[in-house]
Amino acid sequence: MNALINWLDNRTGFRELMHEALYERVPGGARWRYVWGSTLVFTFTLQMITGFMLWSAYSPSTRTAWESVYYIQNEMFIGYIIRGLHHYAAQAMVVLMAIHLVQVVIDGAYKAPREMNFWLGIVLMMIVLGLSLTGYLLPWDQKGYYATQVTTNIMSATPVVGAEVQKLAQGGSDYGHLTLTRFFAMHAGILPAMLVAFLTLHIYVFRRHGLKVHDAKHAPDTTFWPDQVLKDAVACLAVLAVVLMLAILRPAELSAPADPAVKFDAARPEWYFLFLFRFLRFHAVEALGLTFGAIIVPGIIMGILTIMPITAQVLGEWGHRLNKAFIWLMATAIAVLTGMAFYEDANDRGHQAALAEAHRDGQRAIELASGPDKIPVDGAVSLLRRDPYTQGPRLFAQHCAACHRFNGHTGRGTLVMEMNAEKVPVIGAPTAADLGTFGKREWMTGIVTDYSNHFAWLKNAKWHQDAKAKSAAGESVEFIDPDGSEMADWTSGNVESLKSAENADNVKALVEFLAAEAGHAGTDFDAALIEQGRKLATEGIWAGALNGTSCKQCHETIGDAFPAQPTDEGASGYPTMAKYGSAAWLKDFIRNPGAARHYGAKNQMTASTPEKLTDTDLDLLVRWMTGNHTASTVPDYPSQMEAVNAAISK
Amino acid sequence: MTSSPSSSDASPTAADGHAPLAPRRSVLVHLVTAVLSFVIVTIPATLGGLFFLDPILRKRKDAEAGGKSGEVSRKDEKGFIRLNLTRDSIPADGTPVPVTVLDDIVDAWNRFKNVPAGSIWLRKLGDGPILAFNSTCPHLGCSVDFRPAEQDFFCPCHTSAFALDGKKTNDVPPRDMDGLEVSMRTNGADDPGGQEIWVRYQKFRGATAEKIAV
Ligand code: FES
Repeated sequence: MNALINWLDNRTGFRELMHEALYERVPGGARWRYVWGSTLVFTFTLQMITGFMLWSAYSPSTRTAWESVYYIQNEMFIGYIIRGLHHYAAQAMVVLMAIHLVQVVIDGAYKAPREMNFWLGIVLMMIVLGLSLTGYLLPWDQKGYYATQVTTNIMSATPVVGAEVQKLAQGGSDYGHLTLTRFFAMHAGILPAMLVAFLTLHIYVFRRHGLKVHDAKHAPDTTFWPDQVLKDAVACLAVLAVVLMLAILRPAELSAPADPAVKFDAARPEWYFLFLFRFLRFHAVEALGLTFGAIIVPGIIMGILTIMPITAQVLGEWGHRLNKAFIWLMATAIAVLTGMAFYEDANDRGHQAALAEAHRDGQRAIELASGPDKIPVDGAVSLLRRDPYTQGPRLFAQHCAACHRFNGHTGRGTLVMEMNAEKVPVIGAPTAADLGTFGKREWMTGIVTDYSNHFAWLKNAKWHQDAKAKSAAGESVEFIDPDGSEMADWTSGNVESLKSAENADNVKALVEFLAAEAGHAGTDFDAALIEQGRKLATEGIWAGALNGTSCKQCHETIGDAFPAQPTDEGASGYPTMAKYGSAAWLKDFIRNPGAARHYGAKNQMTASTPEKLTDTDLDLLVRWMTGNHTASTVPDYPSQMEAVNAAISK
Repeated sequence: MTSSPSSSDASPTAADGHAPLAPRRSVLVHLVTAVLSFVIVTIPATLGGLFFLDPILRKRKDAEAGGKSGEVSRKDEKGFIRLNLTRDSIPADGTPVPVTVLDDIVDAWNRFKNVPAGSIWLRKLGDGPILAFNSTCPHLGCSVDFRPAEQDFFCPCHTSAFALDGKKTNDVPPRDMDGLEVSMRTNGADDPGGQEIWVRYQKFRGATAEKIAV
């Protein structure tokens, strides 16, 4: 063994190298305060290892990037740990770098003769930030796509060469395959190679001048190995433990596949760039132009940092104090701006809804991609475009939410706001039914037992108030009145019998029958109850006063199939209840709400013609409303009923 | 070298055993060597650099998307795309409606046929003209929303706000919202009173006061 080592040393001289590397003198003894540089080297090594592994499974193109990251994260063995480590270690690196920088400035380690090393450090910092920017886009998800759009647009604000710089970064005038291949080449090739080169120089120069000793009399001198290395290793272990824990407990997020045609309202940069983002939000800053806020100010800050060694040289002790004051000022400003950004976002209902939607879309895309059909060749972006569970709420928000609501919101989790007389935004009152339970048992129960209340929303509508006023003035007007229709009379006239114990089971059965006629997916119906309900609906076999009143007496088609080619032939003036609430009924109703077979001309709902709502979109909307889509375990948009009720009770 | 040769192996540093070499070579040799070394490094580096500049150097541009290829049946030579909506289907009260524009997208080696290319806002002014805006924020490229309560357009990224006619109402955006050319037609022929809405969908550079199509 010894002979072998001797031979190796003879051929390579490695003993001397090891000695050089490990037996560096540490005056004043090993200290915890010296560990930061080592943790950075360690984190970078971790990034190389996990990065190479991710590389072995990543495929940069607009139709494979999200898809391969999804695959790494959700299918490959411990893929989520590798990606999570890479994701969190990148953030750890930025934090450690900031600590390192602040310490170097405070300890005066940037001063002569270490100026060169300070500048090498600044270059390294820029490279790390570049790695972080380029890495953010690679998953090609909505979050990375829109955040990086902001970055490349900022580049274009560079004076003179802006447009060319942007084009070079993007690989063309717009985002596409080449944006990804270039970002990837930068992220995995060019920038890491530069980092290795500059890091080597940084460490070399560091060794040349030795440690900037904080307090030489702190303890007896020692050597790097093993005293300082032990402390360094413990610190690195702590870093590793933190990122590993985060990777496992909070797996790195993957939002929905990037889609330039889908607006994304939750765009934010990585948290450590939030301060810059918040800075750009000051209208006073924007008034001076984007170039000022996004390029000149950061440029000046970097400039002041860079000349710190010169400042200290020229101004002596005062220069050093100035530098220290500046670094504390920056740290405080960054902390305050970051805090502001977090605080404002947390209190911004719109942003929270957008975040919830981004999360929902991302989860859903992953859910669909994990399905038996896998991801089609045209990419995961098409999965969501064809998914009723994703598109339904959007279509509802766009086409229905002007009057209707869905569990108190627009379908997409946002509240409908309007200005009150004092020009203060308030929650707008819906002027048509809240369809959150449409076609379900709750809905049917409302209709059967409490009709006027169930449709009370309509009374908020201007047309209703106008018509009411006219009819009070003695004019004869035809309008849908939740308080004054035959159906309302039936439920209010029979309220005691409906609520009586002897009819409790009957009401339940009728509701079961009606809900089964609507037949929304995902409900288990009770066949016996349905049969009992059908009898009630068609034959009216109730207990007590209700006995003999059946639905069929007015709604002649109840219990029938909904016709494939619905016509108004034989319309009796009562809305058809044939498969009321089913997909077929709903499609016909949305297209022809004013048909005689429904509510006739007195219905104020506007028809959604194919010019407004294409057949494909109608299908997506109706399938969502009737639950006819691949099941989802993704949490839905939160109900906003409490907020609405609170606003109404005010 | 601090370690002394401990075995009979020849020392790796042969120079140690020789007298220092006299500078025998002429200036010319120095020069030629320097130039050669420079050239062998510079040529590949320049070639590599030029390749990297492809996005601004390449002369032959990718074929224009759509155009006369006929892939988008509802697109004409001037780049106008027919929307699914008709004039009558847009709210008369001026409320903006979001529309997804379908187009062919050329992305490097791919042509994606008839896919969602972007989203726009459409507004009808009474019985008058139809306004169309690209929904991409002219500030830094986020998406502009319609706020019903405030009756304005608003970008949640850095709070750019615009009036419903697209004019900017605060200092954040560098310019107004990007209006798009609209042409009303009947059976594809210009007709100011027609029902068909044709829009020339374009994207514009962000962060500039001027509106520059990309
Ligand atoms: S991108 Fe719209 S405000 Fe900045």
